[in-house]
Amino acid sequence: MSIELNTNDGHVTITNEVIATIAGGAAVECYGIVGMASKSQIKDGLAEMLRKENFSKGIVVRQEEDRLHIDMYIIVSYGTKISVVAHNVQSQVKYTLNQSLGLSIDSVNIYIQGVRVARD
Amino acid sequence: MVRALDGKTFARMVLSGAHHLTNNAKKIDALNVFPVPDGDTGTNMNLSMTSGADEVKKVEAEAISEVANAFAKGLLMGARGNSGVILSQLFRGFAKSMEKKQTLSSEDLADAFEQGVRTAYKAVMKPVEGTILTVAKDAAEVALTESERTTDIVVLMEHVLKEAKASLIRTPELLPVLKEVGVVDSGGQGLVTIYEGFLAALKGEELPEEEVSESEMDEMVNAQHHKLAQDFMDTSDIKYGYCTEFMVKFDKKKTNKHPFNEETFRNELSEHGDSLLVVADDEIAKVHVHVEYPGYVLTIGQKYGSLINMKIENMREQHTAIVGEKQEKPASTKKAEFAIVTVAMGSGIEELFTSLGATVVIEGGQTMNPSTQDITDAIAKANAKNVLVLPNNKNIVMTAEQAAELAEDNVAVVPTKTIPQGIGAMLAFHPGEDILANKEFMEQAGQQVKSGQVTYAVRDTKIDGITIENGSFMGIADGEIKATDKDKSKTVKALLKEMITDDDEILTILQGEDVSDEEVTSLVNDLEAAYEDIEIEVHNGKQPIYSYILSVE
Repeated sequence: MSIELNTNDGHVTITNEVIATIAGGAAVECYGIVGMASKSQIKDGLAEMLRKENFSKGIVVRQEEDRLHIDMYIIVSYGTKISVVAHNVQSQVKYTLNQSLGLSIDSVNIYIQGVRVARD
Repeated sequence: MVRALDGKTFARMVLSGAHHLTNNAKKIDALNVFPVPDGDTGTNMNLSMTSGADEVKKVEAEAISEVANAFAKGLLMGARGNSGVILSQLFRGFAKSMEKKQTLSSEDLADAFEQGVRTAYKAVMKPVEGTILTVAKDAAEVALTESERTTDIVVLMEHVLKEAKASLIRTPELLPVLKEVGVVDSGGQGLVTIYEGFLAALKGEELPEEEVSESEMDEMVNAQHHKLAQDFMDTSDIKYGYCTEFMVKFDKKKTNKHPFNEETFRNELSEHGDSLLVVADDEIAKVHVHVEYPGYVLTIGQKYGSLINMKIENMREQHTAIVGEKQEKPASTKKAEFAIVTVAMGSGIEELFTSLGATVVIEGGQTMNPSTQDITDAIAKANAKNVLVLPNNKNIVMTAEQAAELAEDNVAVVPTKTIPQGIGAMLAFHPGEDILANKEFMEQAGQQVKSGQVTYAVRDTKIDGITIENGSFMGIADGEIKATDKDKSKTVKALLKEMITDDDEILTILQGEDVSDEEVTSLVNDLEAAYEDIEIEVHNGKQPIYSYILSVE
């Protein structure tokens, strides 16, 4: 799936992969998020921390008619206020996608897949 | 002189910090351009801080650890926005550092600041420098050095505040978006405001209510302009074309007729334009506004007195000039905290390492080992306080160790023996941890990767019980030859059969310079069919010698 934009000079096609990568990049800069988690809970239920090029595993871009929805599976740091971290991710992802692609996202759904307790 | 900080004093510091933040919240809002320019940082920090202060008010105990704990708890419960969460983490670590202590010495206090910073950095995957985090970190560092020199907590706090302010001023150098708009970081400003409150309470002083100095007005004006820049994509979209700034010096005769009221004045002006800022005291009113007809607003100002320091700019002309102009990136000469130096062969692999965060990539590998000097030079070029070296070849590990010994900086070698190990190690890098912890994480991560290589034999030979003909391809898994065949793809398949087990999930293929895209595509198709559960990634490594480098995790 991909997003098509029509301009006077021609077409622009943006794949979901691009959207996912930008969304992921914006998310990891958010304070309180320590990783992206795979959307499919793997074998032993461990939420595997994903690396940069695997963002797409933890980010689902869905298109329903003209509306864009993003589901993000994240791991947050222990001791942060989870609701606020999630909200920060939502607003930053929306803002960044709007800035870089001019896309307006209808919803950014956050799934907290894990909490990482930092080592002291 | 204060040698021991008790709970009661700390409680007063918190309340004073919260009060001072409330008075300055609007100003901080105006600075907010990062991460999202929605102008709510001051408000969010204020709400978080107020929640922390409310908890502190409820505490009866005199032990500072209990007061600090209550403060941290209140901050956590009331955390709003990015800056609020960071603030809650700073003081969570702060409170954790002082188990059951009644009072703090200057060393304890410095340690508490440092612990706060550590905790705060741990809660983020990719810390952005030039934010509240940097300001807190720089201030804590100074606290540590100063605590060795003084036992007076007031003096310590003075140094902390001074460094926090200095660090705040440096934030635009670290974060380009701030420099572009010409403001300092809003969260950092919030923290400075809180520290100002702390110091005032320690000294028993009262801080003045909101006062807006000239430079602050400039910052607010800059922030207003930035907000507008977000809205306008096209010069023709500019509705109010003239940026107008002036001051009104009140004239008694005129103000007797028209008594000056800031709110009425603001309302009058707002009818003629937008981006309005008005700051007034008893003698002067400063105005910044975007209008289409500057004359009108000047006339309104003249009702109250004489006009001074006028400046009117045509923004349409400015905008046309700015469009197309390239933004220069500030070059930082400051030593970075961490750098990674790695060795790679092939432009694709080099790019891969750079994209993963490697600071310097030395060209080299099998048959072309870099010298100790090459590595020493690379470490110097990396220009960082801590440097991690990833040799990615067992023949280079020793050389890297030598170079590390020679280097002046803090250098550690992660003994990676293959490119996949190096990549695996890169991904485990965690900037919040110290260099030794990182060495350990990265070494472990590197060892969890299974490395495979496919290359051609240059003569007939027999190794590991396998007979290899000259010109055939051989598949090597972690140093042992596992497969050989005349055909490249068949060798890869035979090698992978040995390497992949049920527990593996990711196969990364680095395509060599002698391998065509068609070959890879057909190979990947076959592999996808054979291993359904495995995620396959292909990167064009463009490496010589090895047709394929494989990594299985």
